[in-house]
Order: sequence, then structure tokens, then C-alpha cells
Amino acid sequence: MPTVEVPIEKWTGKIHEVRLGGNSRKSVVVGGETSLPFLHFEGSLPHRPLIAIEVQDSEPRGWSPHLVAAWGDVLHDPGAWAKKAVEFGADIIALRLRSAHPEEGNTGAKEAKRATDKVLSAVDLPVIILGPEVAEKDNEVLVAASEVARGQRVALGNCLEKNHRTIAAACIADGHVAIAKTPIEINLAKQLNILLCDVGLSPDSILMDPTTGALGYGLEYTFSVMERLRLSALGGDAMTAMPMICTVGEESWRQKESKVSEGVPPSWGAHEERAIIWEEITASMLLNAGADIVVLRHPKTAALVKATIDKLMGS
Amino acid sequence: MSRFIATSAIRGAHSVVKQAEDMFKDALEKLGPDVPINFADKEGVGTTYYLPVIYGYSGHKVEKLGDLTWPLEHAKSLLAPIPSENLWLPYLGETADAGVATLFAEEIIEGIRFAKGEQPEVRNGYKFNGPISDVQTRSWGIQMVDGSMPGFAAVIGAAKSNEVAVKIVRELQSKGQLVFLSSMSNGRSIVDQLLEEGVDLGYHTFTVPFGTDTISVVYAAGYASRATFSFGNIKPGNWREMLLYNKFRCFAFALCLGPMDDLKWATGAGAITYGFPAICDTVVPNILPTGITKYEHVVSMPFDDIPGRDDLERAERLVQRCIEVRGIKIKIPSVPIPVAYGPAFEGEVVRRADLRCEFGGKGGTCFEWLTMKDMDEVEDGKIEVIGPELDAFEVGARIPLGIVVEVAGRKMVKDFEPVLERQIHHFVNGAEGIQHVGQRDITWIRLSKSAVDRGFRIKHLGDILHTNLHNDFGAIVDKVQITFYTELDKVEKLREKARGVYRERNERIAGLTDEAVDTYYSCTLCQSFAPNHVCIINPERTGLCGAYSWLDCRAAFEIKPTGPNQPVPKGRCIDPVKGEWEGVNNFVYDHSNRNVERFTIYSLMDSPMTTCGCCECVMIIIPEANGVMIVNRDDYSVTPCGMTFTTLMGTVGGGLQSPGMMGHAKLYITSKKFIPVEGGIKRVVWLSKNVKEEFAEELREACEREGVPDLMDKIADATIATTVDELLPFLEEKGHPALTMEPLM
Repeated sequence: MPTVEVPIEKWTGKIHEVRLGGNSRKSVVVGGETSLPFLHFEGSLPHRPLIAIEVQDSEPRGWSPHLVAAWGDVLHDPGAWAKKAVEFGADIIALRLRSAHPEEGNTGAKEAKRATDKVLSAVDLPVIILGPEVAEKDNEVLVAASEVARGQRVALGNCLEKNHRTIAAACIADGHVAIAKTPIEINLAKQLNILLCDVGLSPDSILMDPTTGALGYGLEYTFSVMERLRLSALGGDAMTAMPMICTVGEESWRQKESKVSEGVPPSWGAHEERAIIWEEITASMLLNAGADIVVLRHPKTAALVKATIDKLMGS
Repeated sequence: MSRFIATSAIRGAHSVVKQAEDMFKDALEKLGPDVPINFADKEGVGTTYYLPVIYGYSGHKVEKLGDLTWPLEHAKSLLAPIPSENLWLPYLGETADAGVATLFAEEIIEGIRFAKGEQPEVRNGYKFNGPISDVQTRSWGIQMVDGSMPGFAAVIGAAKSNEVAVKIVRELQSKGQLVFLSSMSNGRSIVDQLLEEGVDLGYHTFTVPFGTDTISVVYAAGYASRATFSFGNIKPGNWREMLLYNKFRCFAFALCLGPMDDLKWATGAGAITYGFPAICDTVVPNILPTGITKYEHVVSMPFDDIPGRDDLERAERLVQRCIEVRGIKIKIPSVPIPVAYGPAFEGEVVRRADLRCEFGGKGGTCFEWLTMKDMDEVEDGKIEVIGPELDAFEVGARIPLGIVVEVAGRKMVKDFEPVLERQIHHFVNGAEGIQHVGQRDITWIRLSKSAVDRGFRIKHLGDILHTNLHNDFGAIVDKVQITFYTELDKVEKLREKARGVYRERNERIAGLTDEAVDTYYSCTLCQSFAPNHVCIINPERTGLCGAYSWLDCRAAFEIKPTGPNQPVPKGRCIDPVKGEWEGVNNFVYDHSNRNVERFTIYSLMDSPMTTCGCCECVMIIIPEANGVMIVNRDDYSVTPCGMTFTTLMGTVGGGLQSPGMMGHAKLYITSKKFIPVEGGIKRVVWLSKNVKEEFAEELREACEREGVPDLMDKIADATIATTVDELLPFLEEKGHPALTMEPLM
């Protein structure tokens, strides 16, 4: 066999290292890559991508019966849910303050504080806190959650261009990380990072959420934008060099293929298996595009994706 | 610097430092050096930042009485001698030092009072707040960072009357400012005035009474210092950063009501080091040049001289002036009109059957004219209809309308007038049931019956413009006033005036050359899909998409300094003929992910500009004809180079540099800087027919300018030639100049 010399790309950039957790809490670091995902021969990949498991502050409505069955009765208690997620191998707990959504309870700062406190005291893993994705409510509940989590370096999201100043201010004041979310667009992603730095947040306190499209629902757009962001970062642009987080579970479980169990062709296969595969493929694709954290919903997916990461990291 | 103010401030500093020293000696003797000093508000909630001004300025921690020795010595060391009668030079440095010494002394005095249990102040049974707690600082700090509360107003002294005091505070609150209250004038304090009027003071109403002496103003500086530690990531002791943060991010100012004295001036000098200007309602010297503060330092606005119907209106104007001096931008949450407003209504058409009335259009008279004025010539939010409102006109009437928008802003420049004026179309179209077409003196606006039935009137067009100009262009516009004219004679007269301005603008654009500027602008908007492409936009070549001129980019940068249009200083000129500059090369290299190293602006053959994929036209050389052909996006024909626009686009797009090929805007063909290296417009042997037609007039002028008035007749298009074999005989027959020009290759 003739020997083939693998061409090595020389990158000048490096992804910022972002630490979550710390103090009495377990701490993790993401980022630090000096090469494209999993190209170990080309650069250094000092920190493996991590799995965050999603926990909600109130019993989720409209979840697939397979998700409900997998979690059982912990679904009504975010603390117990978080504990169970630890057993299922989560690296990080992602708490979604869903009940603050105006159409799903419209709860406020007080409830947000209570839910945050429950999760923080139930587990010692690093925590991500996500608002209901309504900018005004996000500001209200995330600022409150930020105060409760002070000093424990959680990630707060979502931070959009619209409300970035508020979230950034809370992150600066309480020592947290902001999750900067933009709608699948490289310029907007970069601009939001610049704006956040401009407010005074340091680049190692920002994660980017490029907006996730699930398999069959825009996955390739997300993939391209993440790839572009990563290429630009490795090419030396510090304002695109933030580690990336993808909300895989939420997106893939919303899709028809994950939801429908009846009236579909038999070739679609068993519902539960199909839904898990949907989540798994979305996650593993985006890991290959440079995701540093994937947020998942089903325990089985978490195990499958973890195995994939193990293989890709050669461990 | 005013000699009067400098002298007063330095004198005041000497006196308050002396007072601090005396109190310190006395307290040391009576209480001993170990008695603790803790700042706390009236509820006993304190701060972990010691004495925050001293801590911020020096990093020195005061925990007990004995720790005050160093700050006191430092304050003394900052005192310059009081200027003598016949010293006339400015005293800026000494005055600022005196200001810092004053803040130190004031904080020392408050510290000692705390040690003695004399703070927060209690007077006539009313307990003042004292310094703001850390908990409150955090909660307000987030609002200050996110802009919902731009800053604070330190109100010092007492207003002309109780009524005025209340009005001032209400006005400040309506602008989102926190209000800190302290000191007295003529034995009265604004706190007394507000309490007498039953105004509820406290954290919950964003009004904080510090105390009745000027010394308590130092709590405002302490609040500002702590905000920078929490939200600016600034380490105590890093005084320069602390002050700059406040100057640029904390929109605070002092509003001095009533006569000034030495201590007020000295404290004011301290506030100025933070970038906080002072506005006084009495006759005092102005310090107008910009320097330590972002704009004016001291502004005198004698209360009784303020124009206004009554004292309340004067109070309103006084606060308005404060907002201007500090450069606070106002955001208006929603457009206050009786119909829905949003992008969903932009494409809406008002048909004849639904028409209530229209302005302009066929046979009508309507124009829109946005003009820039001085700050004091524009009254923000003033909307006036001169002549009858639309109720006076029957259904379906064509009403004459003149729209005159007057704007003022510190960053506004004349060149932005057309950029803003062009937005009127987009703004007005956002309203439900309103249709806007055209611009300048060919404006045509239609209002639907349903919009008018719901209460929409001409004046609401003003609300739309006022709101949107503030919200979208607040970076360059501070004040907006709109006047509508509906009487034909007035409209016609003003239209003539506006036409003069349109002509001037056209000439200005024509006269704006590449040589006349030292900065070009970039556009990296398309990097989302063409990551290595950078547009460089110079006055004589608009962006290749045709949407961004140099002026647009310049305005876009002012409005969004972090956006995709960045200034590119030309730097050293490498080649004036090809148009190569060091600054441009460096910028392009850095922003093309290190893909494009060189970049000439005037050459098609040597390192031409790259294309994202949005270009209106593609130009490519036809070697056989010794010329170039230009095909437009809307021209679907096959071209003499053998390719359609789409195929060509695929070759030239994506940020690749391909000599001999280039994407550009339609308008570029008429520019004086159209491929000058290759010989300009004379090289064009083939041009899409639709472009020929659309720009017939401009092209004719360009050809005349280049000394080839009949050139357009010699240029082929798809109706004449779609292959080189068809093209060449045509060129020969017409005697196209390219055939005899210097070889391209």
C-alpha cells in the first residue's frame, strides 16, 4: 500500500475556553479547540463535547408519551428530575423555566428562584438556565435565577440581540455565562458576540446558540452556519470563537417523525426507536459541525450520543 | 475653564478638607482608631465596597476610623493653592484635583458620621435614606446596563417652588432617570418641597433622599463607583477605567437648583471627573467645550429666563436640556397611532374603492423633505398641521401635502439627510391602511377609509416618523419635529425650496469623489453565505448589490458601530492608477479570512474586487473584441461569452478573485471611476438591453463626458448578438472604439 500523506491545515485561531460550575459545584470546561471537530491529527481538542439533559420547572405539557415514560414521576419535580438526569449520565443540567411562558403559566421571578434553587441544591453538576424564550419574561426570570445562582457560574439563556444588555448585566454582576442566540446567521452571531463584549462581558463568558434545526427541519442550515462560524474562528476571528450549544432535544421531539405513532408507513419503524434516532442523528451531526454542548431529552439518546462522543474522542 | 468656577471649587475643597481633618482629629480622640465604619442605608443594608469613592479611586479599604488617615492625607495632597486675583490661565487640572479631594473629604466626613451614629440623617422626624445599599445597586445596575434606566440625576438644592420641584422630579422619572436628592438652597431642600407635596420618596419610586447638606451628594458618586465594580468588571483602584465607564455608560448629571456656593462647585468638580455635567438653574458661567464630560461641563439655564407659558413648562424644558447635555437617548415603545403598525403592512395597497383621500400621485402635489437644524431650533415631538386636517376634505379627495421633517442631533451631518429621508417610505408603509409610493417631490400617499374611520389623521404620519426616527436612528438623531402643510400655495412654495435642496444633494453626490475622502467603507453583510467576500465601497462605486452607497455605509456605521459596514482608512497609496491602498489591502486580508491579499479598486485585470453573489451585473472580458461585456441579473439571454448571467455568477461569486471578471452595480457603469485602467466605458462592447433602457439618460451623459457621445449606438445587446461571431461584425460595422484601443491582454 502506498502511504498517503494527510494534508494538515494550519489554523491560527483557537476556540475560547468557557468554564461552567466551580466553587462547591463540579466544574467543566468546553471549547479550546484548535482544529475542526474530531480531527485529532490536526490540532488539539482539549475538552470533549458535553451532554446536557433538559429538565423543566413544571410538568411538561404535550410531551411524547415515550419521554414521559422514560422519566416517570420525576417530571413534576425539577429537583428529582435533575437527580435522575445525573444517573442517566448528564454532564450538565439544563433547566428550562417553561412555566414563565405567558401561555404556559406566566409564572414570575419568585417561581424562577424556587425552581433554580431546587435544581442547584439537588445536584452538584454545572447548570444551564433557560428562559421561556419570550424576551421580556426571559429578562424577568433569568435575572432572578441569576441572583440565586450567584457565584456558581451557570449559563443563562437565551440572550438575544433584543435583550442582550439585561442578560449580560446579570452575567457580569453574578459571574455567569451568557448563551447568545441568533437565528442561523453568521453575521448576527458575530455581531451579538461583539455587542456582549461591548457591554463588558468577557469572551470566555459566552456560549453561542446558532439555533438548531432538527433532522429534516433545517439541520443542514444549522450545520453550515456552525461550520462557517468554526472556520472563521479557527481562521483567527476571536469574535466567532465562542463554544457552541445546540438545543437538540427540544427541536427533534417537536417534529412529526418524533411525534406521530399512527397512520404512518410501516417503513418508518417503531415510534420510540424512531424518535430516539431522530434526536441522536441531529445531535451527532451537530457535534460534527462543532457543537460543544448538546441539550438532550431522552435518557437513551444521552447514552447513545455519549458513546458516539467516546468513539470520536478516541476514549 | 471658568476662572470663577475654578476659584470657587478650589476654595470649597480647601474648606471641606479642613472640616474633614478637624472632624477626624476629634473623632480619633473621642472614639479611638478602631471604631468600625460601615456605610448603610436607613434599613441598615450596607455595602461590601467600604467607602466606595475612596475605594474606587485608590483601592484603599476603610473599615475603621484609623483607616481614614491615608485618604485624608491624599485629599490634602491634591489641593492646589487658591488662584490669586490676577491669575487668568485655566485651572482645569487643579480644579479636577480639588473635586477629587472634595469627594474624599466628603466621604471621610460621612464615614465619621456613621461611626458616631449620625447617618443616615434624621430631620424633623424624617429619616433620609443615606447611601444606597449593594442590593439596590445591583437591581438598578441591571436596568442601567440594559438601558431601561439610562442614569441618574443628582438634584441639588431647592426648586423655585414646590410645584416646580414636583414637576422636575416627575419629568426626570418619565425619562427613566433615577433621582437622587440632596443639599439645600436658601435654607430649603428639595426633599422638604417634595414631602410637603406628599410625594412618596424611596427606592420603590426611584427617588432617593440622601440628606440636606451638599456633603451627602458624595453618595451619588459612591453609587456610580460601585456600579462599575459590579457591571464594568472594574477593579477598585483602577480609577481611570472607573471614570471612563461612568463617562460613557452611566448617563448621570447634576441638576443644581438655586444659588451655588463654594462647596457645591467643589462637589460639582468631583462629579465632573466622573463625566457627569452640571446644569444650573441660576446665572453661572458656562463651561461648554467637550473634555472630561462627553459634551458640555457646566450649563447655565436661569429658570425665569427659560421660555415657556408658565413655571411648569419651564421645568419641563429644564429637564429636556439636562437630557440633551448628557446625551441621553429616548426610546419610544410603540408607534402611537390608532391603526396597527408593523412590517406585515408594508406591501399593502389601498385601492380606489377603499380610498378615503390621497396626497400626490397623478396631478397631485406632495413632497417630503427632511432637513437638519441646530439643536435649539427643533422642539422634539412637535407635530403640526398647517392648513385644514383631512376631515375638511371629501371622500376620495386629492389633498396637497408638504411634509417637512426637521431633525437635530449631535452626530447628525448634512449628508445623512437623504439617507433618513429615504426611510420615510419604509416608515409610513408600516401603518395599516396607509400606502406610500415614491420619494422627494413624487411622493404619493393613500389613506384608506378604514384607517381614517379608526381615527387616523395627517398628524399621525408625524407620530410614525417621530417614533421611528428616534428608535431606528437614535444614534444620529436627538430631536425630531414634523410640520405638514395642506394649503396648495404653501405646499407649492415649499416644494420649490425642497427642489432646490434635492438639486444641491444631487450635485453633492456627483461631486463626492474617491479623492475627496480618506476613508472608504466595508460591507460584510453577505459573509453569511460568502464568508471570504468583502465589499469595499468608495464614493464613486456603490456596493455591487446596488443597495449601499458610500453615504449609506457611513450612516449605517454611525447607527450601528458594530455592524457590517466599517470604516476602512485608505492608508498609504500603493498605486494611484489601479487604486491600491495599504489600508484597504490590510482590511480585506483580515476580513476575508486571509484569503484575499491584494485588492485594486480601479482595475478589472489585476486583483479586482470579489463578489458575494448579490451583484446586479457581471462584467467579463471578450478578448476577441478587445473589450468587456456586461450582463444584468434580469437579462436571461445567452451572452457572447457563451454563458448566461446565472452561469457567470456561479463562476465569479463566492468571494473568489477572478481577473477579467467582476460583479458590480448597474450604476457603476456611469461612474467616472468605471474601470479607468482598462479605458472606462469605451471598453463596453455588449450591455444588457434592460440596463441600456433603464439608465438611458445617465449612460448618455457618461458617454458624452468620455468624449464618445454616440457610443451607446455601438454597444450590442442580446437582440443584436449572442455569440462572438455575431458580435464582431457589428462592432466593425459601427466602428466601436474598443477595437482600436490598446490590447486588454
